[in-house]
Amino acid sequence: MQHTRPATRIATYSLLVGIAVLFAFPLYYLIVTSLKTKAELFDPVPSLVPNGLNLASYQSVLFGRGFIGLLVNSVIVGLSATIVAIAVAFAICYPITRLPASRRLRGFVLSWALSLRFLPPIAVVIPYFTIIRTLGLYNQLPALILVYTIFNLPLAIWMLRGFLDEIPLEIEQAALVDGASRWQAFRHVLLPLSRTGILAAVIIVFAFDWAEFLFAFILTATPQAQTFPVGVQGLVTQFEIIWNDMAAAGVIAIVIPLTLMLLARKYVMTGLTFGVIREK
Amino acid sequence: MTLGARVGVRTGWSRKSGQERLVYRLLLPVFGTVFVLATIPFVMAVIEATTAGAKGFVGLDNFKVALGNPALYEAVKQTVLYGAIALPVEILGGLGIALLVHRVIRSAALRAAIYVAAMLPIVIPQIAVGVVFRLVYQPDYGILNVLLGRTGADQLLWLSSPPLALIATASVDIWQWTPFVYLVMFAGLQTVPSESVEAAQVDGASSWMQFRHIELPYLRPLLLLVVFFRLADVVRVFDHVYVLTGGGPGTTTQYLSLYIYRIGFQFTDLSQASALAVVVMATMTIFYTIISRFLPADRG
Repeated sequence: MQHTRPATRIATYSLLVGIAVLFAFPLYYLIVTSLKTKAELFDPVPSLVPNGLNLASYQSVLFGRGFIGLLVNSVIVGLSATIVAIAVAFAICYPITRLPASRRLRGFVLSWALSLRFLPPIAVVIPYFTIIRTLGLYNQLPALILVYTIFNLPLAIWMLRGFLDEIPLEIEQAALVDGASRWQAFRHVLLPLSRTGILAAVIIVFAFDWAEFLFAFILTATPQAQTFPVGVQGLVTQFEIIWNDMAAAGVIAIVIPLTLMLLARKYVMTGLTFGVIREK
Repeated sequence: MTLGARVGVRTGWSRKSGQERLVYRLLLPVFGTVFVLATIPFVMAVIEATTAGAKGFVGLDNFKVALGNPALYEAVKQTVLYGAIALPVEILGGLGIALLVHRVIRSAALRAAIYVAAMLPIVIPQIAVGVVFRLVYQPDYGILNVLLGRTGADQLLWLSSPPLALIATASVDIWQWTPFVYLVMFAGLQTVPSESVEAAQVDGASSWMQFRHIELPYLRPLLLLVVFFRLADVVRVFDHVYVLTGGGPGTTTQYLSLYIYRIGFQFTDLSQASALAVVVMATMTIFYTIISRFLPADRG
């Protein structure tokens, strides 16, 4: 155990509090702005404290501007792409973690998946743009579901592989010895044991899908298929900026991944570092 | 591994165990499909980069245009500057905070609270981060100028004067990703065996020596990992900059991804953009191949 002098401790604590304020303040100001009325936007000096709980801007964004439709698109795309990605990732991870796959095969699959993570989306979206238009899927949700599934598959594979590796092979083998078929061992032994891991992967992949902007921005054109982040961007870059509506849209965009991440907080770092950092 | 599997390795497919054949039977259909779907864009990019509409195959002409465009090198330069500002601050800052928290804060609850708090900026969608900092940096409404005004200082055009716009966009990166470095480094510090630390303290090692000789060796692979992820992310930077400056003023914040976007979708020169995409994909693949050998993760 380390001993630090009281003066050092106080200095450290003040420094950390200062850093925390620096990081928290922009978010605080976002929330305050989202609670302002239209009239308050014309204050010569914007106030730093909310004048009350005025939710008009949220109503204006969701219903006045019809962002509720974009929200629905985001949820449809996110859920579909997540479910497909997790199912496919599981089908890929099962043989390489539960069966005697050679080290080379396993290494190839994992390394290939990780390499996709390092491709900048802008480089990938250019060929996808042509493909999607050729397929007649431009400005349609299935195009986004397809692209999101492929793009988040590496993350899903690495997360599930980490979780599956932690379940001892002996448990399944015991079931096989007892006369269960491989399918039964999978269905009644492995699947229940990997439930937590699957759920964590679902949450994190969904949060990534929810936050995605560039693909949706390029592959859609109208609110029929646009996702929430595309709407937020439109609100910001339009000619006249309505600050409280913009802030409210920002808050909505943040609340969903934040809530999900708090639920899955033990696994967030696993997801962000592809399993290099593991919380116990 | 079963005996059959070992024999299989030596004598080929016909002697592989049923289990090993099952691996391929299960893996091939799914992985093959995914592999093809993920590889098609590469092929398409190469096809588009070597053709030009009605003219058909044009060889390397598009590459010559793309690589001969001085604006490309301007974009690369600005991207490098952005990374040169953001990454050192993120890495040294994140490491510094991790060391401070690790050495000074003893309460497990407080440590856990800081850990969760540090996750918050990371999980915020980049578009929303752009909105947050619009409210900070906007000249007429942004809180920074309001606060500067209160102290009597001159207000600054954070997003529309060249050096400031570069710093402002990089500061957003710092805001969002320093906590990530902190989290990785803090997790790394927890793996340092306490016996070595205690032994060093008994021997009278200074705080710096303790860091340099005991903790740093444990952190080195993680530092490499962080640099690896952050470098790749600098090439991806798009969303928050698009919201904050749209690449301006002039081309000050037109980083590589924004530049390719502009070529492809504002100048609608998809041939040139595809050539750029191929160059970027090839570069990142080489980068990945080299650096992944040094990563701490188990590759097999």
